[in-house]
Amino acid sequence: MQLARYFLGKIGWYLLVFFVALLLNFVLPRLMPGNPVDALVAQMTRGGGASGDAVKAIYENYMKEFGLDQPYWKQFLTYVGNVLQGNLGTSFAQYPASVNSLIAQALPWSLAIQLPAIIVGWVVGNVLGALAAFRGGWFDRGVFLSALFLSAIPPYCLAIVLLFVAAVNGGFFPVGGAYSFGLSPEFSLAFFGDAITYFWLPFWSIVLVFVGGQAVGMRSMAIYENGADYVNYGRGLGLKSNTTVRYIFRNAMLPQITGLALSIGGMIAGALVVELVFSYPGLGTLLFNAIGQSDYPVIQAIMLILTIVMLLANFLVDLMYGIIDPRIRAAQSGDR
Amino acid sequence: MRSVNFTPRFYVAATILIIILLFAIIGPFLVRTDPNATVGGLYDRPAGWGPLLLGTDNEGQSVLANLAYGTRTSLIVGLIAGTIATVIGLVVGIVAGFRGGLIDNLLTSATNILLCIPVIIIVILMSVALDNRSIFTLAFVMGITSWPWLARAVRAQTTSVRTREHIDVAMMSGASFWSILLRDVLPYLLSYVVMAFVLQVSGAILLESTLSMLGLGPSNAVSLGIMLYWAIQWGSVRTGAWWAFVPPTVMLTLISFSLLLLQSSLDEVFNPRLRRGKIKRKRGTEPTYEIPAAEGPAPQLTATGVVEGPAPIQDTRKDGGR
Amino acid sequence: MPNLLDAANIRGVYYTPAGEEVVGVDNVSIQMAEGEVLGLAGESGSGKSTLGSIISLTAREPLVVEHGTLTIDGDAQDLSQMDKIPRTWRGSVVSMLPQGAMNSVSPTMKIRDLVVDVMRAHDGKVKKDEALDRARDRLVNLGLPPRALDAYPHQLSGGMKQRVVTIISTLLNPRLLIADEPTSALDVSSQKALIEMLLEMLDKEIMSGVIFVTHDLPVLRTVATRIAVMYQGKVVESGPTATIVDDPEHPYTRALLSSVLTPEPKYAKIRIEGMRAFDRESFKAPEVKH
Repeated sequence: MQLARYFLGKIGWYLLVFFVALLLNFVLPRLMPGNPVDALVAQMTRGGGASGDAVKAIYENYMKEFGLDQPYWKQFLTYVGNVLQGNLGTSFAQYPASVNSLIAQALPWSLAIQLPAIIVGWVVGNVLGALAAFRGGWFDRGVFLSALFLSAIPPYCLAIVLLFVAAVNGGFFPVGGAYSFGLSPEFSLAFFGDAITYFWLPFWSIVLVFVGGQAVGMRSMAIYENGADYVNYGRGLGLKSNTTVRYIFRNAMLPQITGLALSIGGMIAGALVVELVFSYPGLGTLLFNAIGQSDYPVIQAIMLILTIVMLLANFLVDLMYGIIDPRIRAAQSGDR
Repeated sequence: MRSVNFTPRFYVAATILIIILLFAIIGPFLVRTDPNATVGGLYDRPAGWGPLLLGTDNEGQSVLANLAYGTRTSLIVGLIAGTIATVIGLVVGIVAGFRGGLIDNLLTSATNILLCIPVIIIVILMSVALDNRSIFTLAFVMGITSWPWLARAVRAQTTSVRTREHIDVAMMSGASFWSILLRDVLPYLLSYVVMAFVLQVSGAILLESTLSMLGLGPSNAVSLGIMLYWAIQWGSVRTGAWWAFVPPTVMLTLISFSLLLLQSSLDEVFNPRLRRGKIKRKRGTEPTYEIPAAEGPAPQLTATGVVEGPAPIQDTRKDGGR
Repeated sequence: MPNLLDAANIRGVYYTPAGEEVVGVDNVSIQMAEGEVLGLAGESGSGKSTLGSIISLTAREPLVVEHGTLTIDGDAQDLSQMDKIPRTWRGSVVSMLPQGAMNSVSPTMKIRDLVVDVMRAHDGKVKKDEALDRARDRLVNLGLPPRALDAYPHQLSGGMKQRVVTIISTLLNPRLLIADEPTSALDVSSQKALIEMLLEMLDKEIMSGVIFVTHDLPVLRTVATRIAVMYQGKVVESGPTATIVDDPEHPYTRALLSSVLTPEPKYAKIRIEGMRAFDRESFKAPEVKH
């Protein structure tokens, strides 16, 4: 019962945050001096030029969809309404492609790299960190320093190094893209076999940095917990060290789970740029192109998607934490 | 300030940082070449001491000169943004933690909402709309978006300091609100704030280079991120012109690593429970030791400039947990 | 008949990070007979907690036992070789009752989980139900609610937690229980409850002896049969409770006893007039009228 109340509370909270995120998504680009969205559209209609008709069509479409002649708050409501219906607008630069279709093409590629990276990185990183904390000595020092170094490398720097060393010079991996030229995406083993070679370098760039960060964090937490009273008491009761290690792990995990949501945020940001280095056709490349072409609908849509992903991650993390730590549920529902 | 035991790690980190700082400050004067001037052909190899020490980039400009000016720009942006974020986070956290009540509720709600939304998203949304992205505007945008995790941590620490007796003494002897904050509360937070500042600077530097890679970097200056941006866009990796991308990569990694090392060694100074040292004594066996201490370890930095907030402080109770 | 406890020539030293030595326990020897409660009294830093942790085999870095032997029921162990002492001694021969049970149980587990783990650590074949039944019997036997087993540590009050931890510490019927400041964090009524529980357990022969470490002399008067006074790592005086309290010989013991505060009747009746309630929100110092 406590658990249910906790979850409902969390759901309500995240809906609120989502609303704020929508607000920011809408307001921020328009808040900056010069309100670029309107300016861009106005400029397009003014400019005319070679693609005068196309530009006019864009402008009218945008007007229709988002009601530019309306006061801002009405525009916002229209925007919210569209988003809730799943309509993220039409691209400026690749008119008349819908933003949804562009994102639908790019999103799976990003997910394919990032989901395994999060899972593998988290598990390996935490296990490594815990091992280092318990074994101590040279193993600990080695793991700690290398993990610290890895976590300090910006993932795109690692990506550049890997690209140069392993692909350009070494020739072990392809140099860019997601699959070989001439093939088209399909659910076949052959395609998978080809695409996986393009998958490795971006994957490793992200995973290694993530593992480093998790290992350092887990090690700190485990060392910290090692000095806790319950460890000493357990020893005084004759418990085997394996048993106390279990206790330490469970307690040290808690802050790691809390930090996971933020870690994912950092990782996603890094992954976007890693895609650029490898010309990998995911959200990162899409975002980059959109920025270059001032394609605001696409930029806003990607930002919204990323925010939703982050909120979802935060929510799942909160759920997990509520299940594992009994004190949180108690505090939330007013127990002592 | 009690005497502190600095580990070798601290000295290594400090040394690297000082070298980088020196390069950033006096490098441009030593190199004496305008980074925007064309000194050679496209992607000329490194040759001799002088402006061509690291060759040229895709516009024939000296990589060495760009590196010097770029490091300087990155550091300036990082320092400004880090300072802004630290100050805002400190003020918000202290006021919320000390005042309590409605102000605390409002500030905490705002902080928690902003915490859930990734910094990079807000920064991209703002930067995309700026038509003139100067160093200072970018630093400002980054600074005003990176403070929430610090505010939350500071608030938690302030609420625990607030309940200590010396605050009551100060209040009973008639000290003013701001005087109490400055002289009785702040000193306890100082150690944490120093570490947090280091992280903020590091995060800002990396955030700026991430933005530059996406094409949202400063529009009128060269930074390490901008150098990488040009290196990628003009295919220096593919053509093997390593002198164009290796220097900024190495410099960026060094900055990030040394700041992280600094923060981690400071963490061990302020948090003895994290120390793993050797007991110097007559016997042969050398086990590890831990001394119980009060607070948990400090936050971790991820290499894209997002700081993972301080882990163990979970605000399960309204008063920050006591 | 042989002594329950014979601790001889114990020397424990703390090593600071700079490599200096701080002597915690300076060549101390103590003995105890069956059924005794030995009170270890002294001020902070006297070495009583250190001695307690050494005897309960829970000394850890930076405390190092340079030499000493511990003999329980004739079984001797070399305290300078802490690693070689059998793990099962802890908990079933000597057991500790830690100071401040606040964090003695991991916050993410229920009391019952610790009970099962403790029982299993000493007898791998023990079934979960057996272990829990035994704990439940203990709780009921000593007047505690059995539902405490299903609670998380944060759900128990301070006094309750201390008593539950006492039960856990004596689950395996240790010969000797070393209680380190067990009453210091409790209010007076909880203190009384705990002391009564300890004496009852001693009576029921759940354990055969208690070492009660405390700085609180009045408490020792009610619970200890013998008292050993420590100062700067040495035992300066020891003897039966009545003798120590009524007729102390060592000047330090005398000083310690005389520092116990008992307000004289006339002062106990005076009240301070006119102090207004203090409002933290308005940050004004209150007026005090005399």
